[in-house]
Amino acid sequence: MQPVGDLTEGRPPEPAAAPGRRTRRTAEIAFLVLLVALPLLSNDTFLIDRFGRYFLFAVFAISVDLIWGYGGMFTFGHAAFFGGGGYLVAMLTTRTGSFLPVPFWIALPLAVAAAAVLALAMSYFVFSGREALRGVEFAVVTLAVAVLAERLTNAGGAVTGGQNGILMQTRLGIPGVISLHRGYGFYALTGILLVAAYLGVQRFIRSRPGLVLRGIRDNEDRIDLLGYDVAQVKRRAFVLSGALAALAGALFHVHEGIVSPGAVGVSSSTLVLLWVVLGGRGTLLGPVVGALLLPHLTASLSGTLLDTWLVVVGVILVAVITLLPAGLLGFLGKEPEP
Amino acid sequence: MSVLAVEAVTKSFGGLVAVDHVTLRLESGEVRGLIGSNGAGKSTLLDLVFGRLQPDSGTIGFGDTDVSRLPPAARARLGMGLVLQVPSVFPDLTVEQNLRLGAFPKRLSSPAGNPAGEIDRALELVELAPLRKERAGHLSHGRRQWLEIGMVLLTRPRLLLLDEPTSGMTRAESRHTASLLRQLQAAGDVAAMIVVEHNIEFVGLVSDEVTVMHRGAVLADGTIEKVQADPAVQAAYLGRLH
Repeated sequence: MQPVGDLTEGRPPEPAAAPGRRTRRTAEIAFLVLLVALPLLSNDTFLIDRFGRYFLFAVFAISVDLIWGYGGMFTFGHAAFFGGGGYLVAMLTTRTGSFLPVPFWIALPLAVAAAAVLALAMSYFVFSGREALRGVEFAVVTLAVAVLAERLTNAGGAVTGGQNGILMQTRLGIPGVISLHRGYGFYALTGILLVAAYLGVQRFIRSRPGLVLRGIRDNEDRIDLLGYDVAQVKRRAFVLSGALAALAGALFHVHEGIVSPGAVGVSSSTLVLLWVVLGGRGTLLGPVVGALLLPHLTASLSGTLLDTWLVVVGVILVAVITLLPAGLLGFLGKEPEP
Repeated sequence: MSVLAVEAVTKSFGGLVAVDHVTLRLESGEVRGLIGSNGAGKSTLLDLVFGRLQPDSGTIGFGDTDVSRLPPAARARLGMGLVLQVPSVFPDLTVEQNLRLGAFPKRLSSPAGNPAGEIDRALELVELAPLRKERAGHLSHGRRQWLEIGMVLLTRPRLLLLDEPTSGMTRAESRHTASLLRQLQAAGDVAAMIVVEHNIEFVGLVSDEVTVMHRGAVLADGTIEKVQADPAVQAAYLGRLH
């Protein structure tokens, strides 16, 4: 055994990333780009447009994977941010008032910022102090948030449009220059957003706060005993996740032309969990695959198996989760993130 | 000034007094063994010192700071380190990532620096260098315990608290752990240590002074030879003191 030296002396530079790690990163990104490019094999504009929607689902799934897969914070209410982003943009662009309505490209950052502030406020409430919530307690609170959001939007009268929601005429793109609202334009916009979100979250996960976040997932008490501010790290991840979900949700609902109470509720929150579980939580790439595969499967089967598609989808889900409990790409999680 | 000054600390759980007016001082360079039978209050005292439990009365001073009401993370940032009886590591992270979590500054606003050199030395110290890319969850119990010690050492604690560090270890592993702690003491990396142990042989290998606890109170203290010769200690260990 080496003699004990001064553990604080000398700080040689970090060794360069091992070739294996670089290869894995490159392979993952290449696979993601391939997934994004896959719909281009078809000339069907409708399919291209549909995959644009799935790309936004994938961004939503990444946002959930960040806090659940990497932070151990199981959430039942993340649609409050996804649908909330849609509602905020809808209200900012359709309602009239002192400074309203505002153009979409102003409404979008405002909506994302508002979602981030809401996430920050919520995270102060649930993560701070000696009575900080974790595990099932946290999940129950997020469930309550989803229920509350659905009730509020239902009861919001002229502000939220009640159970009918809000219709939007807003078009994605720059009027007279480029339309990103349908077809290839929308596909390109959402595809770029998906790759950017993936790389951004991947960068966060590999950063120092990201490593602490993974430590919290594994052993929150030990992180606390080492002297880290657990609440601060959780807040960062939660705010980033909430903002990302709101961005995806805002674009999705503008594309749909409508946002209604179901978008912020428990069923939407549960659906995203299925995508994450199917693909493999804590793998980042897995939730992307889940969010592309399951909605595509659902859409395809519902068109052909009119009466039984839901049963078939259910059986497939049960089979995959039983045979591959870690998800389709769960094997990626068996190798520690570099 | 003492590294640690525990003054008349008491902790009760319902009607059970787990720690009863305990006073304990630790000077720089000292390794204190804390022994006693099951339920004597040793681990509770350690939890009180680190802030995992709040005392009902009494004070805990760390250097010139009264830490009695500070939470564990704040005490860790001041320079306390705690190694638990059941190895507490991050099973899904690699050995190296575990150590990085120990080495990084705990305030995220501080620059991360580059702790690679410190981590390499810690890996050598706890003899885990060949396993640096292995998941911590795949290590044996003894190696996980060493990993935890290495991780806590990388927080640069002035006071290291070890709660039965050899629990579940083989005799060879226990001896290696004793050697490790002795080296730390000799190198002055840690100002003072408290080692809670049942294993008297291990205590003799690492400690200068021993405090014997019985039913929450300090029964005796001094060198290991002195306390072993103490009739009250003998009676307590033989179960004749009631």
